[in-house]
Amino acid sequence: MKLSFKGGIHPLRELHEGKGKTHSQPIRDFVPERVCIPVDMHIGTPSAPCVKKGDLVKLGQVIATPVGGIGIPVHASVSGEVISVGPRQMLGKTASTCIEIANDGKDEWVELSPLGSVDSAPADKIVQQVKDAGICGMGGACFPSHIKMMIPEGKSVDTIILNGAECETFLTADHRLMLEEPQRIVDGLRLIMRAMKVSTGIIAIEDNKKDAIKVMQEAISGLEGIRVAVLKTKYPQGGEKQLIDAVTKRQVPSGALPIDAQVVVFNVGTAAAIADAVIHGKPLISRVTTVTGCVNTPSNLRVRIGTSFQDAIEAAGGFSEDPGKIFAGGSMTGLCIPGTEVSLTKANNGIVVLNQKDAVKKQPTPCIRCGRCVEACPSRLNPQFLNALNDLSDLAGMKKHNVMDCTVCGSCSYVCPAKIELCATFKEAKEKITARRV
Amino acid sequence: MKLRLSTGPHLLNRESTQTLMLDVLIALVPTTVAGIYLFGTKAAWVLAVAVVSAVLCEYLFQKLSKRPVRVMDLSAVVTGLILGLNLPAEAPLWMPAIGSAIAILLVKELFGGIGQNFMNPALLARGVLLASWPARMSVYYIPARVLGVTEVVPAGTDVISAATPLIRPGGYQLYDLLMGNIPGTIGEVCKIAILIGFLYMLFVGTIRWHIPVLFVGTVAVMTWIMGGDPLRAVLSGGLLFGAVFMATDYVTNPMLKVGQVIFAIGCGILVGVIRMTKAYPEGVTYAILLMNILTPLIDRWTSRRVYGMVKKHA
Repeated sequence: MKLSFKGGIHPLRELHEGKGKTHSQPIRDFVPERVCIPVDMHIGTPSAPCVKKGDLVKLGQVIATPVGGIGIPVHASVSGEVISVGPRQMLGKTASTCIEIANDGKDEWVELSPLGSVDSAPADKIVQQVKDAGICGMGGACFPSHIKMMIPEGKSVDTIILNGAECETFLTADHRLMLEEPQRIVDGLRLIMRAMKVSTGIIAIEDNKKDAIKVMQEAISGLEGIRVAVLKTKYPQGGEKQLIDAVTKRQVPSGALPIDAQVVVFNVGTAAAIADAVIHGKPLISRVTTVTGCVNTPSNLRVRIGTSFQDAIEAAGGFSEDPGKIFAGGSMTGLCIPGTEVSLTKANNGIVVLNQKDAVKKQPTPCIRCGRCVEACPSRLNPQFLNALNDLSDLAGMKKHNVMDCTVCGSCSYVCPAKIELCATFKEAKEKITARRV
Repeated sequence: MKLRLSTGPHLLNRESTQTLMLDVLIALVPTTVAGIYLFGTKAAWVLAVAVVSAVLCEYLFQKLSKRPVRVMDLSAVVTGLILGLNLPAEAPLWMPAIGSAIAILLVKELFGGIGQNFMNPALLARGVLLASWPARMSVYYIPARVLGVTEVVPAGTDVISAATPLIRPGGYQLYDLLMGNIPGTIGEVCKIAILIGFLYMLFVGTIRWHIPVLFVGTVAVMTWIMGGDPLRAVLSGGLLFGAVFMATDYVTNPMLKVGQVIFAIGCGILVGVIRMTKAYPEGVTYAILLMNILTPLIDRWTSRRVYGMVKKHA
């Protein structure tokens, strides 16, 4: 039986979610001439740069050290000379400190210190190794992975879920990774399970990726405690809360973390990065990202962290049409970029280019109470009512009616026939409620 | 390069208010065609006047009150057509005109336009006409033609008035009830056409099955309890038309599924009660209108469990 959750939508059905352009494109390596690496790619305090202009750095060398409790280091993703260290406008609201490195083309690694094989690596050292490798959630959340791997006092975890749902539109990076490098993913999962002393590992994949399901099932054959869960193809199946609900039939309590449902979720790409860090000692310096939409050769690229959008788009053949909007991620939750000089980060699973026509804002019309948003909301809120409260500027009322449980998945806005920007409204309201402590 | 910035989602469903209304109009095609076939050109005139005056009223009101003109969303066309289908074919042509004006101006636009009316515009207009000109509104006519082959009703030469089959149950065969060879309003008589429209709307996802099925089902059960013939009760009068095309009006029924279930069963019970007490031969109009009025209360009283509202795991 296919696992699922209540609510949700089937976005871009007529386009097959936009994945058709790239799902059969093998991963291609791409190394740019120059990278510009932000030091604030993860959630938490930005790391502190420890190199200066003119320094020569090797591939994988630490260029910024962790700050604060949940900080992680940042590594050079090419070898070469540091050109600049300073603020640049990235995806955030304010400028980020970035370290710019000119690639000397040698790809000369620093000395690596692997921990050992999947079975021999000492379990108590894995978490530190993951931290030192600068790994954070590669599905988009950018939460430092080693924190997730440390179970706080009084909590327990019985299941690790690897998220291979990839329910977002257009993206095929995780799909290709599962198809081409299943061993890295399985190794990563086994290392996580050993480090956290958890005996159940589940790799969850949507049933629109039948080939990936088959490959992963082969890769885990003979391994105890690990299985593949087949999910119904539906957005937002890969949303952490929906995924946990579908796979374990447990819900993450409102305002709590997945660990309160005794589950920890990692993206498949994160698991692969963890395997590299432990088995080969390699820090996180590259990732697979899908570059698609209005580009000449839509591709799945393995790019170095800090590659500019411009370089990545050129690696995919350049623009095929005059671009009107470019976002990092799929069309449901992707973040718009102000210009193509912005860098790809550890969490960046895709670049989608829309043409001028598709970028035009749809003019909203009055709500007709059709109930599409109510049906779609995976958090089981009443978006129509919340929107009416927002029109009255009633933030307290919105909070009372659970707007803080909104995951900003965009399902309500997507289905709205009146084209009302429900999701954007709730995102703004949530920010206001947090800031003003309503 | 100037790039547009916005919060996701960046690509939206193709469905719009206009496409939804167009789907309702497509679903009304079989009923409209059957009505015109059965009752002749008089019916076509009633429908045409109803639609044209509904659109005209909306356009003029929005123009004069300097609001955005929204006639292209087709909702006025739907209102006008549904009102027309709710009238007897013999209605004088000023009746659909007045009805549409009431529906659009009084019920819809004065309350703030599309999405703001608290009762179904076409239905309230029908209610006003029914209360104002009861004689003209409650005398039904036998269709001028028959659909299919029948032995009971002769292919009429002149339209003659007759009691509705609700008053004289058992007078018509099921076949005639289904095909529409019975007295009634233009749209309500041909049940086959209504069912085709219902299936179309289910298929394209315009509506869900809950409201029509539970509404009609409740009436059937009530009739059975009171010793009547459930099938005949369902196929008589305006029940099917009301349940499929009027109770399902988005604006005037509850938002949550649980609310819609209460709404539908409430409609069914009211129809049963009105038919039982024989205060009116036809209770569907007032049943739905009453439940329309209760909709805000139902919305207030119903809720569903939000994700994560669970007891914390150990």
